[in-house]
Amino acid sequence: MLRVNGLYKKYDDFEAIKNVSLHIPKGVVYGLIGSNGAGKTTLLKTVTGIYEKDRGNVTLNEKEIYENAEAKKKIFFIADNPYFYPGYTVKDMAKFYKSVYETWDDNKYERLRDIFKIDENKKVRNMSKGMQKQVAIWLGLSTNTDVLILDEPLDGLDAVIRQRVKKLIFQEVIDRELTVLISSHNLRELEDFCDYVAILHNGEVILEREVEKLKSSIFKVEVAFNDGMPEELMDRIKPIKSVQKGRIWVLVVEGERSEIEKILQSYNPVLFDVVSLTLEEIFMYEMEGIGYEIINY
Amino acid sequence: MFELDVRSRVPIYEQLVEKIKELIIKGLLKEHEQLPSVRALSNDLTINPNTIQKAYRELENQGYIYSIPGKGSFVAPLKDKDINKEKIEKILEEIKKLMLEGFHLGMNREDIIKVLEDVVKIKEGK
Repeated sequence: MLRVNGLYKKYDDFEAIKNVSLHIPKGVVYGLIGSNGAGKTTLLKTVTGIYEKDRGNVTLNEKEIYENAEAKKKIFFIADNPYFYPGYTVKDMAKFYKSVYETWDDNKYERLRDIFKIDENKKVRNMSKGMQKQVAIWLGLSTNTDVLILDEPLDGLDAVIRQRVKKLIFQEVIDRELTVLISSHNLRELEDFCDYVAILHNGEVILEREVEKLKSSIFKVEVAFNDGMPEELMDRIKPIKSVQKGRIWVLVVEGERSEIEKILQSYNPVLFDVVSLTLEEIFMYEMEGIGYEIINY
Repeated sequence: MFELDVRSRVPIYEQLVEKIKELIIKGLLKEHEQLPSVRALSNDLTINPNTIQKAYRELENQGYIYSIPGKGSFVAPLKDKDINKEKIEKILEEIKKLMLEGFHLGMNREDIIKVLEDVVKIKEGK
């Protein structure tokens, strides 16, 4: 269990992370979503102990991570721009990580080499950005740590490689309950990838929820009545948002789907449709709710 | 063995549950037949294994499958009434939709009753 409790991080006067708490159970894929500059990278780097926090704490299995070699051995971090030593080949980097991580697995390294099909004798810094990212993931998985933290891991990878990386991570989750913390601004991508998501905005977590629960507790309803919207209906379902488009009402409603359907049906709507929201829409409604304006040009 | 629509608004979890139910109801997955392992399905469809596990658990709760620890998940023998109940609900929904459309086009109550009587006659072999 990876826990972040009331974490704060400041750069000079700028508070990048404000009172952030996350609960990341073992063996789950946990997604961190955020607008640009929301503090995702700062948060990940503070969680991994690269940055020193100002307040709060980050623990892995109840033990503080910062400046704790034992805890750090269990975590591998893949940065948005992974760092490789100048002149090092993949093989050299592997040797280095093998010396640092006791859990390093040679067999896995070799198996992944055949999957990624990247020449291990090539200098990593001479490779393209996408290739470097694949090398980082290859090495990261080979360290066999309990926790893998990835900053925008799928950015810059093509569709085939993205699928491959997802499959590899999923297999590790099944085989050894790998815990994955991943940040992304690509909501579409996180939707199928993660078990949990947290939305970060201006350095604060505005929502932390299980993806399936999130998606099964908030709906978009399209509804129309012959004699207009019954007055008390709005009071009963309390929509988060309601927009009238001609005679059709579009409502965003939170709650149990079958309940909402039952209530609406009882007013004999002439048109009635309930759809799940995409993560992207949920993100937009939550952001609107806290005053982050979505401007329509 | 099947495909999911990752572009759909319907959550993957729900799609999985519905898809497997459908395969069982239609008899494409037979009684006591083994379902694909979480590992195989995750690899095949590139979906989160925890989601598959949750879907399997839900199917087990609803009585569609059973699991044997260490062996996997299997299709539970279905009581006929369960299959019928789902199908009947679907058919009634369809009839309702068609009737609404009919009324809109000018059909009336007597027309429906006539159809109903005709159908009953056919069923009774007259």
